[in-house]
Amino acid sequence: MLKVSPVFQFWVGALLLSTVPGGSYAAPVADDFKKSFEPLLAQYCYDCHADGVDKGDFTLDAYSNLDEHLGDRELWLRVWENLRSHLMPPADKDQPTDDERVQLAAWIEKNVFKLDPANPDPGRVTIRRMNRQEYRYTVRDLLGIDFNVSDALPPDDTGYGFDTIGDVLSISPMLMEKYLDAARKIVESTVRPQESKLPVVSLTPQYFKAPAPLKKTAEWLPFDQPVEVKRKQVFEHAGEYQITVEYKTQGSDEATGHAATLALRVNDAEIATETLGWDNRSSIKFSAKAKLVEGDNVFSLVTTETEKPQEGEKTLNLVVSSVTVMGPLDGRVKVYPKEYYRVFFKGGPAKEPAQREAYAREVLQRFADRAFRRPVDEPTLDRLVNLYRIAAAEPKTAFENAVGYAVTAVLASPRFLFRAETQPEPDNPGKVVPIDEFALASRLSYFLWSSLPDAELFELAQKGELRANLADQLDRMLEDPKSQRFIENFVGQWLMTRDVEGINIDPRRILGFKNQEDGFKVFGRRQRQAMRLETEMLVAYLLKENRSALELFTADYSFLNEPLAKFYGIEGVKGEQMRKVSLPKESKRGGILTHGSLLVVTSNPTRTSPVKRGLFVLENLLHTPAPPAPPDVPTLEEVKKEAGKKKMTMRETMVVHREKALCASCHARMDDLGLALENFNAIGMFRAEEEGQPIDTAGKLITGEKFSTVAELNQILATSRRQDFYRCITSKLLTFALGRGMEYYDSTSIDKIVVELEKEGGKMRTLIHAVVNSTPFQKRRGDGSH
Amino acid sequence: MKNTPSIPSRRSFLRGLGTCLSLPALESLLPISRAVAAAAPRGATTAAGAPLRMAFLYIPNGVILDKWRPQGEGKEFQFGETMKPFAQYKEDLQIFTGFEHANGWAGGDGGGDHARANATVLTGARPRKTSGSDIYLGMSVDQVAAREVGSATRFRSLELTCDSVRASGGCDSGYSCAYQFNLSWRSETQPATPEPSPRLVFERLFGSGSKEERAKSFMARQAKQKSILDFVMEDAKALNQQLGRNDQNKLDEYLTGVREIEQRIASMEKFGPPPDPGAEAPVEGVPGQYEAHIRLMMDMQVLAFQTDSTRISTLLLAHDGSNRSFKEIGVADGHHNLSHHQNDAEKIAKIEKIDAFYARQFAYYLERMRAVQDAQGGSLLDNSMVVYCGGLSDGNRHRHDDLPVIVAGKAGGRFQPGRHVKFAGNTPMSNLHLRLLNEMGAKADRFGDATEMLKNI
Repeated sequence: MLKVSPVFQFWVGALLLSTVPGGSYAAPVADDFKKSFEPLLAQYCYDCHADGVDKGDFTLDAYSNLDEHLGDRELWLRVWENLRSHLMPPADKDQPTDDERVQLAAWIEKNVFKLDPANPDPGRVTIRRMNRQEYRYTVRDLLGIDFNVSDALPPDDTGYGFDTIGDVLSISPMLMEKYLDAARKIVESTVRPQESKLPVVSLTPQYFKAPAPLKKTAEWLPFDQPVEVKRKQVFEHAGEYQITVEYKTQGSDEATGHAATLALRVNDAEIATETLGWDNRSSIKFSAKAKLVEGDNVFSLVTTETEKPQEGEKTLNLVVSSVTVMGPLDGRVKVYPKEYYRVFFKGGPAKEPAQREAYAREVLQRFADRAFRRPVDEPTLDRLVNLYRIAAAEPKTAFENAVGYAVTAVLASPRFLFRAETQPEPDNPGKVVPIDEFALASRLSYFLWSSLPDAELFELAQKGELRANLADQLDRMLEDPKSQRFIENFVGQWLMTRDVEGINIDPRRILGFKNQEDGFKVFGRRQRQAMRLETEMLVAYLLKENRSALELFTADYSFLNEPLAKFYGIEGVKGEQMRKVSLPKESKRGGILTHGSLLVVTSNPTRTSPVKRGLFVLENLLHTPAPPAPPDVPTLEEVKKEAGKKKMTMRETMVVHREKALCASCHARMDDLGLALENFNAIGMFRAEEEGQPIDTAGKLITGEKFSTVAELNQILATSRRQDFYRCITSKLLTFALGRGMEYYDSTSIDKIVVELEKEGGKMRTLIHAVVNSTPFQKRRGDGSH
Repeated sequence: MKNTPSIPSRRSFLRGLGTCLSLPALESLLPISRAVAAAAPRGATTAAGAPLRMAFLYIPNGVILDKWRPQGEGKEFQFGETMKPFAQYKEDLQIFTGFEHANGWAGGDGGGDHARANATVLTGARPRKTSGSDIYLGMSVDQVAAREVGSATRFRSLELTCDSVRASGGCDSGYSCAYQFNLSWRSETQPATPEPSPRLVFERLFGSGSKEERAKSFMARQAKQKSILDFVMEDAKALNQQLGRNDQNKLDEYLTGVREIEQRIASMEKFGPPPDPGAEAPVEGVPGQYEAHIRLMMDMQVLAFQTDSTRISTLLLAHDGSNRSFKEIGVADGHHNLSHHQNDAEKIAKIEKIDAFYARQFAYYLERMRAVQDAQGGSLLDNSMVVYCGGLSDGNRHRHDDLPVIVAGKAGGRFQPGRHVKFAGNTPMSNLHLRLLNEMGAKADRFGDATEMLKNI
């Protein structure tokens, strides 16, 4: 089935739902209509859409008066959309100049939509439940465990192509039950009593260094080059400690007589000596006790060669793999495992019940602040402490488990599961306010990290300084490895890379092999995974290096490993590691249109689908989706059959199909775009021929630009259709970030970003900054329509 | 995270289930069923007072009608070729031909027949065409029944699916994915999300942990949840006061969920701890093999009926428009692609294979339902109304009439199985639903686009 996002229908729907402003149009508007608007319409539109002509069932003059005419927002929305995307007038008709186009669109925006560019409508974002991915990452960042969400929670519904849409993310009783269950399981494995132990400090061997200019470290010390390597370490408590050194010797597979000693010194006193020789164990340990002082202590390892190797024997080396210091041994200081401090940040509880409860309160307040992504209010905290009290009153209940009981409630609370943004006069659509700093922190963190704000964002919000430091924070967030989640979730859905590893496709049939296994050898798990990474890494790279988004089309490099390079027929890439590779000049690849991921996810299981590919370009790159296909359309297989030919190329088949079908006009938009990619089969492999005939990839866009290869198509997308692409990626990003579909009034904000992109050459970071700074991201308004 | 000491294999699970299925009667269940029968004599019971079950099993993308349609009418009929796998259960089922879902047709909404097929099948309602926020359909027949008579059991209803992965992006021609992946709708705007994992269904029904621990853990968990529920309820109410209308509607879903769990805990006093299902929990996750997955989900449904945990359940074998391939029966092409066969003999043959595949799964289900003796006599199947159906007939042309519909079970003796009944071409399938509702004791006089209550059944 064709995947079509009915932007048209949706926008129309939104318009119909909003109340048409009452009253009639003032005389100046009527004058202006006659003077500066209608003449242009007459020149470019009326030939086909007026005076009794209604091409495409669309007429512009079937209204008895101007009020009725301008009141028909559905009509003007279509005019406005088609004008802006250059779909109308058709390419073979007289074209308005760019200025005239802008003039027409602006007139509609002002007089029909009544948009005010100075005060854009921020729109309304419905309270958003976390989706599965967000839940997973939020739990991970909060408690440090990787909770298996795909087992525990059902898949989320999507809207407008993303799984972040507030209105669509519903919560059923079954899901509620699962959240309670998940909360219980998560708490069981994270908020629990743990044993405290003597502190252990690990001294990395790499930092045991020889005096300059020697470059030796404890990682590799040849017996025949005696040396002292040392390092300093601060200890808080004086006392007796136990030091353990773990090492191995290497250098010869055969036993040798090469021998040495290793002395361990602390603060210049030798505390142990180990005899070193040939030994095939992979790990040898020795320990000794030493007194450490408060403050700096010096640890050193000294090697001395005691026996040379016999003639013909190889020399040996010492490899120290770890040095640990445990203590003080008197036990006056004890520590918990690291993860214990995530919740119990001050360590273990006191003995006295009142102190314990005070600590429980502190712990719960800190935890709830983070989990709710804003400070928890006192009454709620009281109720949480009460839960602690109930659990603690039960006999034999550990402190940690009693706290865990209240933590379970936090994780089941709507304040955790939903991201609620509050505002004054929540039911007044005219009330527009900047979202508060905590809400801003959450919008940012869920946009770029699919998770809750970290300590730094939270603290800035608490001090009310996040907005003031927004640009810096945004860059910091993009530098953080967590921004990889944005790539996975946004790119995964926008460019559908999420699907490439699981999609049902049959390499055996596509390649014409007999044996299933042979098919998987060519196109299997490894290639699929590499394809996903190729596309994701390209976007990540553009973002990291702040390069132009247009390189999605023009890149003369790609990200490959050996399996994928081989699959693409590119030489000289070795190993499983994905890396940036400059493409050879004669390469057929370059840009996402030639990425395996895109080519595969837009194919049918046994053949390519130019329609799906064309639609993908229209919908996800050019922002001009075609309307859905009418019912009872004959398929390509039927076409082939009726044409009485067994062997036809995809292009031949589609030409016949288009002649027959009622929808040649829609296909004119899609087919050429899809056919341009016919040099790549359904698993994304290059082919010069199909059914023994050369493949013709020439075509033209509905806007008139001609191309003969995919490379030329790429050039067009990156130049004359650039603004459409900017508009497209901007609205995808806004949809993903805000969690709502784009409405007609968002065009003001989107257009502003497009202007900025034009100025900045389409830089990716500029784009992210512009999205974050836009009115819909920064502000909100009350519920209801205007 | 994983807290399961030993995970029995699927085979040992099935063996366990098999043993219990072959028992003539589950003595351990008798007192409960009696208590329930006494407590709710009118809702969801047969004339003899046994529990009456209602189940819906959905097959996607239509069927090859030529090979499906039975020859002859009434009691003297021959099964269609692809129905043969379940022909041996002739005396337990009736075949209906001629039902239509008029709201499935485009009717000005354009493409999206798969979404509409899936959406209409249990609701008889027209889905609002939207890919985003404002999904709107109608309450489904099982959910109406659950609302009216679901309180008779521990769970009002049970929604299951064999679709565990969803594609990213949009769904069918501008329709929200919600229409395609849900059969059951709790209200016009809220689908009842189905569960894909057999193990999670099991744990939900019977608790987690070893067999010995299960009842205990279930009870303990429920009791402990009570104060947590109180907390989140208050929290939600406090939050609610600060929100606008739309947000409040969203939060209402949450509150409904909490209330429903509270009611379940309250009903624990009425029902006691969950019964011993006499079987091991299935292994974690979703089985990789489709047939294994389907059969486990069917086992779960049977188990739920057998233990009287619920009397109402839906199972989506695959969403309409599903492009799943069936390598296990040698069909590598996607089902949806094939369904647009355009009379290509090779493709038709493949779809027939798929139709027969589904029919075999249904046969397995019927065998299970027949093997279990109900506490008050008769088999589970005797005291059930099982609808096996699709929302399209001819998948090639997206027809919403002459739908494939089988009703298995005798409804405690009120149905006349062993027949093929042909209805006039535009008889709403909703008429059947209306009848089923009334059989369940949910005295309804209208449903979906029903014109009257179906009599000939």
